[in-house]
Amino acid sequence: MSDELKQEQEIARIIHTTFKTAEVDIKRAGRLSIKLRSDLLPPFISYLRDYLQFKHLVLISCVDWIEDNEFELVYHVYSYEKKIHVMIKVRIDRENPKMQTILPFWDHAGTYEREIHEMNGVFFEGNPDLGEFILEDWDNIPPMRRDFNTVKYVNEVYEWRKGREDKQDVRETISKEYGEIIPDFDSEEK
Amino acid sequence: MGKIKGTLLPFSALKYLGKKPHTVRYPLETKKIADRYRGFHYNDIDECIGCGTCSTICQNDAIDMIKIDGIESKKGDSGLRPRVDNGRCCWCALCIEMCPTGSLSLTDKFILTSSNPDDYLLVPGVDNPEAKDNISFVKDNDITLLNFNRVPMRELEGSERIKSFAEVVLGYVQEEARQEAIRCIDCALCVTACPAHMHIPEYIAAIADADDKLALKYIYDNNPLPEMCGKVCTRQCETVCAMAHKGDAIAIRWLKRYATEQFPDPSIVLEPKISDPNGKTVGIIGGGPAGLSAGYFLALRGFDVTIYEALPKMGGMTFAGIPKYRFPEDSLDKQIDYMKKIGVKMINNIRVGKDISFAEIKEKYNAIFMGIGFHVPYTIGLDGENLNGSIQAIDFLREINIGNKVDVGKKVVVIGGGNVAIDAARVARRIGAKVTILYRRRVEDMPADWEEIEGAEDEGVNIITQGIPLEIIGKNGKVKTIKYGMAEMIPDPKGGRPRPKLIEGDEHILEVDTIIGAIGQEADYSFLTEEDTKELEIERGRVVVNEFKQTSMKNVFAGGDNVNRTMDAISAIADGVKAVEGIEKFLLG
Repeated sequence: MSDELKQEQEIARIIHTTFKTAEVDIKRAGRLSIKLRSDLLPPFISYLRDYLQFKHLVLISCVDWIEDNEFELVYHVYSYEKKIHVMIKVRIDRENPKMQTILPFWDHAGTYEREIHEMNGVFFEGNPDLGEFILEDWDNIPPMRRDFNTVKYVNEVYEWRKGREDKQDVRETISKEYGEIIPDFDSEEK
Repeated sequence: MGKIKGTLLPFSALKYLGKKPHTVRYPLETKKIADRYRGFHYNDIDECIGCGTCSTICQNDAIDMIKIDGIESKKGDSGLRPRVDNGRCCWCALCIEMCPTGSLSLTDKFILTSSNPDDYLLVPGVDNPEAKDNISFVKDNDITLLNFNRVPMRELEGSERIKSFAEVVLGYVQEEARQEAIRCIDCALCVTACPAHMHIPEYIAAIADADDKLALKYIYDNNPLPEMCGKVCTRQCETVCAMAHKGDAIAIRWLKRYATEQFPDPSIVLEPKISDPNGKTVGIIGGGPAGLSAGYFLALRGFDVTIYEALPKMGGMTFAGIPKYRFPEDSLDKQIDYMKKIGVKMINNIRVGKDISFAEIKEKYNAIFMGIGFHVPYTIGLDGENLNGSIQAIDFLREINIGNKVDVGKKVVVIGGGNVAIDAARVARRIGAKVTILYRRRVEDMPADWEEIEGAEDEGVNIITQGIPLEIIGKNGKVKTIKYGMAEMIPDPKGGRPRPKLIEGDEHILEVDTIIGAIGQEADYSFLTEEDTKELEIERGRVVVNEFKQTSMKNVFAGGDNVNRTMDAISAIADGVKAVEGIEKFLLG
């Protein structure tokens, strides 16, 4: 491979000496994606921060892989010295989503964890403050989950303003205009 | 020392001279707004096609599609325009990302507060036309949620094609069809352009959901010849496809073809419900797409239907005119067999006016449907046209399709630029001739399908454009050469197609064995008696019909090429379906 990815390859090699199961993928110069077993995350973060000088936690995000019945937590960390951005991806069970906090390494991780707890419903063990964050009196499933139906919720909670009654459905308008009768095969079968 | 420093220190403030202060300035300066700021919407009303994708994607249900005065619906435009409830909008800009035309954008203007709640109900582009100059957030064409690239269709190589009449297009496999169907945004604008108004979004959605059976049901609901359409349709739907504005149209024709090809016998899936016989009889003259469609739906509704066809096989122009590499005979057989199962009676090799008189048919049936098509070619009108070796494309194609041999020699010139001309050229290429197409206008003016033109070029057909045939020169009663002159294009002041004008003296000569004329066809009304022609209103070669395809003879209905101007299979099918309504109304009240 080319010289420009030398540093990235070196990091991948070092990681492999300690974390055999980590799947390191060099996306491009300055960008690594690492898939990791979820229980290895705290030691891995510690290793990156203290041994490989990745001092900055950029953010934590969460992806809902509803088809796999899993959440994916993505920890973005950055090294100012190496100018490399690392995304650490861990998958956790969607039914009982629990993850260990990384609060001991970065104080501001607590805020991201609190947000993900509220928006996706992931519980972070060891985080003392997972209280209400942005949403007030939320009594539905966490809104960033993909099975949360935003349109349905919006229409149940917010009233329709006056003056919107004349809205039309494009499909209906077209079929009416051209005299097209759309058959309903689904209800026929029932 | 200290003294001097104390004296000079105040002057160090001078270094701030000329620098911009951080404090608020009076009079207040407005700050520059961020490049991709998201304020209220703006919509380019002329570019918008009313597909309603913005309204569908809106997670807050903030966008309504409404009718606006002065905007009429037309082909490819629903006539509706979006209205945004900014009280609900959260400026996520999904509507802009999903807009297939790119007409919708966000401006840097917004209203912070207002005592009038209606201020927040905005029809972008209509209520704020001045916002055109304040657009800040537009769709990024590099990063888009829409997939603008069509799944490529596999075809035979050009050199392989000319060896036989094997079908050129190979069709999608299941995975390809799913991938293509998923691209559809479900806007239904295609329905506006389809003459038969097929349920296109529904069957594409069914294909995307891997429910090919449901797709087939939707397809057969108002088109009994979908496999034919799936292969040879002129697909006006794809020209108005919302995705075609910024990318490739959805391959609607290939998807229909895919769905129909999955089932060798459609009747097993469709389980057609045939009504009890109602005692009425209908005679159909001409077994083309119009006659077959009318026959199919009449038979389903309990009519006793008989189709009379002069050729040895049903299908009309789709059998006799369209070459087998585009529409193989087994596809046609499959559809005819299905119709026979429904109970449509078919009589081949019987020409009305020769083997049976029109009067007899009128006597025999309660109603008549006339789908006789255009089978008589126009003559080119050149000297030497009657020489041996000067033939008509429509006759040539028919002979080949019936299975007869036609000797065209080594060098063939086809005159014309329509689909028939291209078909004739490609067929002549397959029987071993060197083919040149002579067309009086430019390639972009050709009425033929661009895919057909490309196909012809791939197969080595030479196309001479802006060439006007002048004279056919013969020797011993046989065609020898053709003389043509080059033309320049004169733009039409009325905005129509540019007209070719002959350049004096720029004449060329081509050696040729066979000249094939393909400049259009007309109908053959010779089966009508003189009294019939008085009663039946015919205008410029076309039978005049009302909304339900009823002619001036109350019990005679008509459809297909001899009625409509678009002259393609799908319009003929639409005519046939419409006539069924008319016949039902006429006979059953």
